[in-house]
Order: sequence, then C-alpha cells, then structure tokens
Amino acid sequence: MTLLNNTHSFTSRPRTPAACNTESETTVRPRYTVAPAADASAWTLTVALPGVAKTGLSVTDEAGVLTIHGERTWKCPETWTVLHRESADASFSLALHHDGEIDVGKIKADFAGGILTVTLPKAEALKPRKIAIN
Amino acid sequence: MNITRHTYPFAQNFGRALSPFFARRLAGDFENQIEDMLDSVFNFDNGTGPFNSEGLFPVDLYEDEDNTYVRAELPGVDRNDISVEVADGNLEISATRKTGSGDNAETLSFKRTVLLPENTQTDKISAASKNGILTITLPKQEAAKPHKFTISVN
Repeated sequence: MTLLNNTHSFTSRPRTPAACNTESETTVRPRYTVAPAADASAWTLTVALPGVAKTGLSVTDEAGVLTIHGERTWKCPETWTVLHRESADASFSLALHHDGEIDVGKIKADFAGGILTVTLPKAEALKPRKIAIN
Repeated sequence: MNITRHTYPFAQNFGRALSPFFARRLAGDFENQIEDMLDSVFNFDNGTGPFNSEGLFPVDLYEDEDNTYVRAELPGVDRNDISVEVADGNLEISATRKTGSGDNAETLSFKRTVLLPENTQTDKISAASKNGILTITLPKQEAAKPHKFTISVN
C-alpha cells in the first residue's frame, strides 16, 4: 500500500530505546589526579565521578589498596528515547596501590558536585622531619 | 483498518547538529582515537586533572513526547560558572572551572554547541544541575508533538 509513508526510509533512522539503560558488566576508570597537599604531610586525590550520588559511592582500603567504586544512580526514564549518546552507563572503579605509605586511619573523603576529594595523610615514617644535631 | 503514523520531525538531524568534536570522532580521526585510547589506559595527568584535556565534555540527547533533553557531564563545575545561552538557533553550554591554588591557579573553559530542534519553545528552556550533570529541558511546541492520524476505512 503506497499511501503508507513512502518517505519512510528517509525520515526514520534506527531508534534504539534499548541504549537508554544499558546493562553493563564492565566498569570504567574515572579521571583522577594525585597531588601533594599544601603542607607536604598528605596527598590529595581528586576523582571525577559525574552522575554518581553519595549513596552509590564507596571508598575502601584493604591490604595496601585504596578502592573507589561509584555507581551512576540516574536512570533514563522509560518514556525517553535516546537521540545521541556520548557518556557511558558503566560504573566507575579505581584501585590505587599505596603499600602502606598512607596513614589509613586518617583518610578523609569529601564528595560534592561529582568530584570526590580524598586526603591521604602520609604514614609517619614518610613525613619530613628535622634531625637535631648534637 | 487503521493507518497510524508518528512523526519525529527533527530526530534525523540531531546527531549531525553536534559540534566538530563529535563529527571528528565519527570521521574516525585516527590520531585522536589513539590519544583517547592511551589516555583511557594510562590516565596520565595531562594538566587538566580529572577533566578532558580538549576542554570538551560529553553530551547526551534524549527526547520524549513533550521535551527534548540535553545532559552534559560537568563534574566539579560550580553552577554559577555554567552558562546556557540560546543564539541563532543554537544552544551554547559554556563552563569555566578553576583548578589549583596560588601560583598554579588556572581557569579552564569548556564549551559545546547543540543545534536546537526547530520546534523548541526557546523562552521555556530550563536547566538543573545535580551530581555534576547538567540537564537542560527543551519543551517542544504543541504542533511538534508526535501526531497520530487515524483514518478509518469502511
């Protein structure tokens, strides 16, 4: 029946609602930096975790490995159709080995606006110290 | 018998409306792909910290019956430093972020441009920022909402 959309092939491109909430087993490594803090007694770790809410974020330290895991909490509503995607749905995961150079008990973490800031105090043995000369 | 037709007038043009950044990726700029790959594997500190060194940020586009949505990843950007402007049928998202402190202070600028769908009610655009993601809602004009023509055949 020719009445039915003979321009169909031009106007429709494959629409993929499935791409809206893709289930992904893989994780991506977030962008991050480690910089010495102002007073040289700690390092500051900054991790970009866009789309992660505080509830979906965990920071753990076990056997010399600091692990950060962030789940993207936003889910695309079912009525939405994807037109174009550049971001990923995969959760973020970052593991940093520090071999006990950090005073684990004093780690502080702060999360705001998609940026996680972790203060990693140096272990006592690594802190600069002045030796008195007799 | 019924014939039902849904029209999405601008959907096909939307992907092409994006800035050269994406167009270049589509074109398969090999050097850039390699760079991106290396960057994602080694995650070098490229001077911009946890941000894209090109001063760009990922943008997603969605639509439903009433609105078109633009979602932009802008982690760590204060909402006062984000500006959304409509000019000549384009939606411009620009953001600045200050990094470092003291002598190392640096201001980074990011900008993306998205071609507005023709049926957008430009005076009713709204934007919200949460968890480092900026969501811009572009309401469609009534006439542009999907039409349903039903023709009954006796």
